[in-house]
Amino acid sequence: MIISVKNLVKRYGDLLALDHLSLEVNEGEIYGLLGPNGSGKTTAINCILSLLDYHKGEIEVFGKPMSPNAYDIKKNIGVIMQNVAVFEELTSYENIDYFCGLYVNDKALRRQMVEEAIEFVGLNEFRKFYPKKLSGGLLRRLNIACGIAHKPKLIILDEPTVAVDPQSRNKILEGIVELNRQGATIVYTSHYMEEVERICSKITILDKGKVIATGTKDQLKSMITLGETITVETYDITKDQIELIRNLPHMSQVEYKDNLLIIKSDKGKNNLEIILDFIKKQNINFGKIYTELPTLNDVFLEITGKELRD
Amino acid sequence: MFIHIFTYRLKCLLRDKEMIFWTLLFPLLLGTFFKMALGGIHDNSFETINIAVVQSDSYNVSSDFKNVLERVSTGDKPMFNVTETDILGARKLIEERKVIAYLTVDDEIKVFVQQSGLGQTIVKIFVENYQQSAAAVETILMKDPQNMDTIGGLLSTRHNYLSEVPISNSEPNGILIAFYSLIAMTCVFGATMGLKEVMDIQADQSERAARSSLVPVNKLKRYLYSMAASLVIHFGEVVLLIAYLHFALGVDFGERTPYIFLTALIGSATGLSFGSFISSVVKKSEGIKTAIMVSTTMIGSFLAGMMFHQIKYIVSENVPFLAMINPVNIITDAFYSLYYYDTLRRYWLNMGLATIFIIIFSVGTYLVLRRQKYASI
Ligand SMILES: Nc1ncnc2c1ncn2[C@@H]1O[C@H](COP(=O)(O)OP(=O)(O)O)[C@@H](O)[C@H]1O
Ligand SMILES: [Mg+2]
Repeated sequence: MIISVKNLVKRYGDLLALDHLSLEVNEGEIYGLLGPNGSGKTTAINCILSLLDYHKGEIEVFGKPMSPNAYDIKKNIGVIMQNVAVFEELTSYENIDYFCGLYVNDKALRRQMVEEAIEFVGLNEFRKFYPKKLSGGLLRRLNIACGIAHKPKLIILDEPTVAVDPQSRNKILEGIVELNRQGATIVYTSHYMEEVERICSKITILDKGKVIATGTKDQLKSMITLGETITVETYDITKDQIELIRNLPHMSQVEYKDNLLIIKSDKGKNNLEIILDFIKKQNINFGKIYTELPTLNDVFLEITGKELRD
Repeated sequence: MFIHIFTYRLKCLLRDKEMIFWTLLFPLLLGTFFKMALGGIHDNSFETINIAVVQSDSYNVSSDFKNVLERVSTGDKPMFNVTETDILGARKLIEERKVIAYLTVDDEIKVFVQQSGLGQTIVKIFVENYQQSAAAVETILMKDPQNMDTIGGLLSTRHNYLSEVPISNSEPNGILIAFYSLIAMTCVFGATMGLKEVMDIQADQSERAARSSLVPVNKLKRYLYSMAASLVIHFGEVVLLIAYLHFALGVDFGERTPYIFLTALIGSATGLSFGSFISSVVKKSEGIKTAIMVSTTMIGSFLAGMMFHQIKYIVSENVPFLAMINPVNIITDAFYSLYYYDTLRRYWLNMGLATIFIIIFSVGTYLVLRRQKYASI
């Protein structure tokens, strides 16, 4: 096991930030920590890294208890913190070399590692740039390069795609998958469920410092009753007709807003067919019609009763 | 690892333009400004003083005084250039600043001045000395008129006057104090570097520090290696400032060069440790810390006599404790005692006080830095 957290409790004054949090990260996983802003993701990471004092709980990394002086553990971790942490006075190259040099003494090896990191995040043209001259996305990539240049076995990324343009975001997500393919275990926190769904092999959903669900994305989706969401674009549906749909079998929730009829249906095989039949019989004109499988947002919604999105 | 951290820190510091401005350029500019404002007066070499003497019966019969005056007004480097005139002429001369003082001779000799300054003080002391020793002079002259030389020599020895000029009135000392306290202020301004060091090492104070806490290198080591770079840079800056003041502006530091370097080193260390201490114990934003540091340094510089050198003496006389706990004053005084006193007693006292400060600040910093996990970051 790469990380093991048991019953972690962390308070900021009166605020209970982590409430008996337990989690396990296994070798080779891309482990997603998903939760809305303020759910305790960063706090959990900082406790795991021994930056924060906590009130209760046990934390082990690589099978050994974690502490600020556990250098043999720290040597094998790469961290990309939520906020960009680089030196304004150093160029991209120097920043990466500085951090890498704190892990790797051998100069030749280090030069090679820095070159690889620059190549990896695509900062080659910007190696002589100072952080101030880099766009938000490039800065994030520099931040990542500083965290991974020493080729750690465990890479922890705390919301690395916040405030990043779609192009950089894509590059970052692909990069994470590539690092994992090369053998690193990844812990990835985000409040974007699409990202977590796209890259993570195991996901833990956090809310108010508590784990509300954990598993692969299919496991998570099978935990809820929602089967699919059917959306119909229509301009001439009556209140009575909506009421009739509500009474159709397997339809758990029907809403009509902004000319969109949104129907949530239980698990079943032919929900779309039932709706289409109904629309035809009732002679309702419609534009688009489509159906979606449940998302992690639906999982979050069903368990907590609120939306995951901001 | 030392070389890695040390050299990267050097780079960071040298490229921090704001920091270099405040710790080097600003003092250089201020020194130049002092020089322009205070002009050539700092020049300790003696210039002939223009004075007038009002003609009167008493003056004409007071041959002793006339003789002495004549003696000190002639020769290679005369002390006075005397114009004999009437009272109106004397007033006009002083009005037009052609003379800085005029004398009237009645039962006693009076000195009239319009401003105060070194020249005026010397005239006053000359006259006082003359009057005090008038009786003695008379006796000597009666016995042997050839003794005129001795008396003239006695009264005109420049050193006599300078050393008797009360320190608080003496211009050269005042100007030296301004420059010395400028150096002291620069030393203590090194606090900005100490502040930065702590901000970059305490995970609850900056992102960079939090990130740096995750590396497999001991925290105290990282701090000391990095601090070494700050000390080198800051010491270099202070030495540059001293060199500039000395070679470009002609400020006199006396002859004890090795001690000047030692003072610069201890002074830099005092500033750095002061900054790290403030940064460790004040759990506020960088802005507030900087404000606390800059304001204490400025108040300290003021009390050490940077603006009005008299302040330094007023504080030393009336609140000696304040003078002893003011690092700017301690360092100013160290430079001053190197220049002014023959013995090093007072110098070592100052160095000792500075060292105590460094120790207190460093221990305080250590107690805070020792902590590696935070309640909140
Ligand atoms: N330094 C702090 N002091 C007090 N409260 C904090 C601090 N940091 C975070 N919190 C609170 O703790 C909770 C969890 O925060 P955080 O771990 O940053 O969440 P996330 O990373 O999931 O957005 C939030 O309610 C937040 O307001
Ligand atoms: Mg966070």
